[in-house]
Amino acid sequence: MIKLRLSLCSTAMLCVLLPAASADQTTPVQGIRDKSPQLYALTNATVITEPGKRLDNATVLISNGKISKIQKKADVPAGYQTIDASGYFIYPGFIDLYSQYGLPKAEKDAKAGFGRKPNYSNERKGGNASNAAIHARQQWVSEFKPDTEQAKSYQQQGFTTVQSARFDGIFRGQAFVASLVAGLPNQAVLRAQANQFMAFSKGTSVQSYPSSLMGSIALIRQTLADANWYSQAYGKDNWRFYNQPIEFNADLAALAQLKTQGVVFEATDDQALLRADSLLKEFGLDKVTLVASGYEYSRIEQVKATGRPLILPIAFPAAPAVQQLNDQLDVELAQLRHWERAPSNAAVLEQAKVPFTLTLHKLEKPEQFWPNLRKAVSYGLSEQKALAALTTEPAKWLGLDKQIGKIAEGYQADLVVSKGDLFADGEIVATWVRGQEQQFTAMDLPVFAGTYQLSVNGSSLPLELTDKKGSVEGSVKLGDKTSKLNHVAVQKNQLQFALDLKALGQGSGVAQFSGELKGKTLQGKLVTAEGTIVAISSLQQPLVAQVDQKKATEKPVLLSKVTMPNRAFGVTQQAKQQNVHIKNATVWTSAKAGKLENTDVLVKDGKFVKIGKNLSTPSGYQAIDATGMHLTAGIIDEHSHIAIDQGVNEGSDAVTSEVRIADVLDADDINIYRGLAGGTTTAQLLHGSANPIGGQAQIIQLRWGDSSDQLKFKGAPESIKLALGENVKQSNWGEDFVSRYPQTRSGVDTIIRDAFQAAKEYKAQWAEYEDLSSSERAKTAPPRVDYRIKTLVEILDKERFIHIHSYVASEILMIIKLADEMGFNITTFTHILEGYKVADEMKAHGASASSFADWWAYKMEVQDAIPTNVCLMQQQGVLVSINSDSPDLQRRLNQEAAKAVVYCGMDEQQALNMVTINPAIQLKIDSKVGSVEEGKQADFVLWSAHPLSVYARAQQTWIEGIPYYQLTADEQLQLQVKNEKQQLIQKVLQASDSEKAGSGASYKANNPVWHCEDNHDVLSVAFGHQH
Amino acid sequence: MKYSKLFLLVTAALSLTAQANDIVPAPKQTAAILLQDATVHTVTNGVLKDTDVLLVDGKISAIGTDLAVPAGAQVLSLQGKQLYPGLIALANQLGLTEIEAVRATDDSTEVTQTNPDIKAQVAYNADSEVVPTIRANGFSYTLVYPNGSLIMGQSAFMQLDAWNWKDATVVDAVALHIKWPRADVMPNPWRPQKPEDIRKASQKAMTELEGYFKTAKAYAEAVGDGVKLPVDSRWQAMIPVFKGELPVFVHANDERQIEQAMKFAQHYGFALTIVGGRDAWRIAPQLAAANVSVIYTSPYGIPERADEASSQSFQTPAQLAKAGVKFALSLDGYWDTRNVVFAAGQAISYGLSPEQALRSVTLDAAAIAGVADKIGSIEVGKAATLVVSDGDIFDYLGHKVRYMWIDGRAVDLNSRHKQLHDKYQQRYQAKN
Repeated sequence: MIKLRLSLCSTAMLCVLLPAASADQTTPVQGIRDKSPQLYALTNATVITEPGKRLDNATVLISNGKISKIQKKADVPAGYQTIDASGYFIYPGFIDLYSQYGLPKAEKDAKAGFGRKPNYSNERKGGNASNAAIHARQQWVSEFKPDTEQAKSYQQQGFTTVQSARFDGIFRGQAFVASLVAGLPNQAVLRAQANQFMAFSKGTSVQSYPSSLMGSIALIRQTLADANWYSQAYGKDNWRFYNQPIEFNADLAALAQLKTQGVVFEATDDQALLRADSLLKEFGLDKVTLVASGYEYSRIEQVKATGRPLILPIAFPAAPAVQQLNDQLDVELAQLRHWERAPSNAAVLEQAKVPFTLTLHKLEKPEQFWPNLRKAVSYGLSEQKALAALTTEPAKWLGLDKQIGKIAEGYQADLVVSKGDLFADGEIVATWVRGQEQQFTAMDLPVFAGTYQLSVNGSSLPLELTDKKGSVEGSVKLGDKTSKLNHVAVQKNQLQFALDLKALGQGSGVAQFSGELKGKTLQGKLVTAEGTIVAISSLQQPLVAQVDQKKATEKPVLLSKVTMPNRAFGVTQQAKQQNVHIKNATVWTSAKAGKLENTDVLVKDGKFVKIGKNLSTPSGYQAIDATGMHLTAGIIDEHSHIAIDQGVNEGSDAVTSEVRIADVLDADDINIYRGLAGGTTTAQLLHGSANPIGGQAQIIQLRWGDSSDQLKFKGAPESIKLALGENVKQSNWGEDFVSRYPQTRSGVDTIIRDAFQAAKEYKAQWAEYEDLSSSERAKTAPPRVDYRIKTLVEILDKERFIHIHSYVASEILMIIKLADEMGFNITTFTHILEGYKVADEMKAHGASASSFADWWAYKMEVQDAIPTNVCLMQQQGVLVSINSDSPDLQRRLNQEAAKAVVYCGMDEQQALNMVTINPAIQLKIDSKVGSVEEGKQADFVLWSAHPLSVYARAQQTWIEGIPYYQLTADEQLQLQVKNEKQQLIQKVLQASDSEKAGSGASYKANNPVWHCEDNHDVLSVAFGHQH
Repeated sequence: MKYSKLFLLVTAALSLTAQANDIVPAPKQTAAILLQDATVHTVTNGVLKDTDVLLVDGKISAIGTDLAVPAGAQVLSLQGKQLYPGLIALANQLGLTEIEAVRATDDSTEVTQTNPDIKAQVAYNADSEVVPTIRANGFSYTLVYPNGSLIMGQSAFMQLDAWNWKDATVVDAVALHIKWPRADVMPNPWRPQKPEDIRKASQKAMTELEGYFKTAKAYAEAVGDGVKLPVDSRWQAMIPVFKGELPVFVHANDERQIEQAMKFAQHYGFALTIVGGRDAWRIAPQLAAANVSVIYTSPYGIPERADEASSQSFQTPAQLAKAGVKFALSLDGYWDTRNVVFAAGQAISYGLSPEQALRSVTLDAAAIAGVADKIGSIEVGKAATLVVSDGDIFDYLGHKVRYMWIDGRAVDLNSRHKQLHDKYQQRYQAKN
């Protein structure tokens, strides 16, 4: 219950309407002016004026919303209402920088979204942006209405100030800062214009674009570039590049202020946090705060390296469900680890000196805040840091550190009153916001709990009362008989109850008591069943204190490992580059030297330095006896979708060349490790095939345990996915997807032509602009940077290479003709199952081919696929590779290559080349990898048998002289995973309820296995996870 | 190499530019066929080198060295070649689905969850373009089952060289197939659902399944007692289950599903085979003890759980063999069925013995389908269904399949794939 300490108020409603005498600055007063003095003194309190500063027996004077004085003496000037706060702690009010307080909730159109008809455009009004997830123009202060219920849920945890904007969309609009006071919004607002809130989730937007995380990132990139352009272009002469005036765009105009406005970006996990950081750095945005996810401990070095301050939720996962033996199969080691480690996240951040503040955000219930924060403290977070993260730090970040965040003279009277030390077992009884008290528990309530002796008819009846948050219970025990009190009623210090004396063998019925607790004495009367009135007076004796079994101060012992990535088979320490001498192997060079029996290979500093027979082991080299083993170059996969986070397709618009797989690399993906176990060292991660011009690809090395950035193949040229046929014309997408252009192969031809024509014109525009004199440029609106089209210019300029998803002969001939006409090249036809029909035309164009070994029959356009396709193409001189397009096949690409030996008798070395040097050439990385030759990067696999045999298993997989996978180590890891999991399950089984308690999902959701044609709106699905 | 007239005829057929549906099913065996000097993988009697096998009237009539050539016999030397029983792929949709994405070509899955009266084989397309490509890799038989939910219908054992489904059917009603309700609560990334909701849905399905069985059992008992009931084709179709005449194949992957199915089978007293069996390795000894066979469909599976070893699915066959579980291998699809033979090979490199690998696609598969008395090994009296490869049939380096007989009928190993290959080779030859 909130009780406002305003005696003149007759109802709570009135109090809200007339909270303070100063409410009438511009608002005409109705009725009589309220000029009640707002003078209060909190006396004899323990006052924590700021983190680390404590005053005992202090008095805080509050005058008209401000702290007027803090004094040691208890003498209070006249006119102040005095509140005895002895036994109470007073802290500065807390500040939450990430809330959507006082705003209407965003509502999603129930008819739109996942599984619904696509929606390719946004309703345009008032100069809004073209994408419905952009609300940058919104100044949320204009929608702000104080909300007493919401405010209360903050105040009960001690919060008095919030920064607020609605959590909806990618650019969420500009937040405001407000005190959690009742009354007029005009009064509550501390700063009307604060940070822009941002996130990767498109929220309630029903527009199809973006449908993936990479689309979301691309949209942010384009929008920020547009904002830069807009501030240069708007109002200038534009007839040179635009045949109409520069549009008015309210969102872009608003974003011109972003650098000074500052950004609060919500990250949903540790990798999202790193992505947000680098994306905003691209645009030189320094004033950025990231909303953390609770996973920061698992990548603390990288998180620290961002240099960004964090807003930290302290929601912890509940213990994974392992209580029933049958449920344990569904629990992953990663979940158990996160349950154990999550409470230590804040301490890890503090030790790493990462600045952070705290927020209620992400808690299922606000009441979890203090138990969780105390848990974080028991895991090593210092109390001082915790308090600073609630008070002085956020005040400083807001630039309001002269007004709020401390208990000091002249500061706003925002106070938290706690019965006892909040960091021990203190309980917040009241929060003062700008001198208004919101009381949750009366401070002067008597404590009935204790034992008493009732003298009735010569017997002494021992009464025990307990008292939990105003609810009193009690019983009388006499010998082996117990009688519980009934009809207990308490009002202030008044107590009434009924006691069954008969049950105690003390009378003929029920006696009734009415009395009061005066000081330490319970006084009153007991009326027996017989009507006798017995006067009662008994001194209160304290209850015997119950000893807590576990000391709260005991720092928990953590059993789990933290690995990179933090999941089963993650590495505790990354393997180092080694100089090795591999002796007596059968070496398949994938080069001119062919296959060499009984051959030695020397690897130094990550490179092959010598290949020969009977070499001697140089000093400092580790020797590996590879007798009976086969050594090949690391397997290279031209077409893979592993290690991609939240969406392989930006499957919304028909042309999405602006999206980048590089933006969403997922170093956590277990498929990296599994690929290594099959000898794969390099993969091109392609965008899916949902649109004629898809996204930009990224070539990676399968460096398990490294960061997303380290996965990138250094110096590899840029590439992009294009696609033809059924997927791009949405043939198998269902009835709802029949409206997007193109729906035919003919339309695919024209839309690609149109896009490249636009690219040519774009390039010309920019050339013209660059040629302008500086004075002309100054008055001319520049062309807009269009990442979608700019990417196509890179293709025309031979700086980016096309890998095109294609199946049937007609579309292959179509795209070759189109490429010749528009002046671009097809580097590799991927899938290309009918390549055998038009191999000579492909050869003439100079294109290579990357195919499946034997896939067919799964859809109409693969009905003519044949397993001898690769041989027929190769016979016509086309460079051919075999790809996986799946994490399954990526584990056995050597076997897929071997199928060419089965079906068309391909030469064995040529067959192996289809997964080594040939894909290296297609990816234009053949100068570095793809063969075993002196001077090349030491990416190699040691196989137990002939690499094309079904019996070959990768024993070791090395990248750049680093052993990333070893079969023997893998067996050790399997054991470790099992043991660690067992230990953690035991820990859960032995944990107390509070240790097991938590909220929400226990670990990041795994990505599904991505396929080319997965065109679901991933962001819409993700939205379903949110509150 | 000596070729008989029969083989020349087959070769002549290959040179026609023909559609797959022009590949003519082989006629009944008339003359005896003597296969000489082969390495014979008998399955039941080890590997016999330089051994002859005589095929008469569709059956194996003699196995030995230097068998006498019967009058009028066609003779084929298989010196240096490997002779195996025709391979068997169990549990798939071969002939039921032609092009997965084209609905009109898909007869694999019926609606409603009470389809015990559904028979897969009547939809089997003997002219499927897919089937010849499966034969070409050494497979002579398949077990096709109807897909769906809960009680899915009955499977049939088919031979792969036929004019129509009747001709193809070797055994009608091999088993009743049931898709077991979910037992896990792992979240589906596409459809976020709370564990308790998943559990509730599974419980509902389980209750329904139990209800169907109670109804069917009561129906069967009433009919058995001579009570006149209006015919309900669904419960009528289940009478053989309760008579112990129709085994039940339960499609289940999760350990908990398998355990539930085992209890269920015990309760109703039917013979159980597990189809799927991804977790079968976790309870292999229990399966062996209960004499439950497994048609293992994940020989190439990605580990189901993040904490499982990368190679878990690959080593499961070896783990089952070690525990004494009878199992067959399957890929539970259609076009990829031809890879089952390589999956068996890969299982060998993960610890399965070559003998057990062979059994998993021959005799043990035949036993699971209830035809081991006639099919699945090279023994006198068994079906003359044989396949010849250049080398180790499980290994890419030796797999090349040369000949196949089904019941002594010389099967044409041509396929759409070979025809398209030949067609387009001609395009380039004409150009050059």
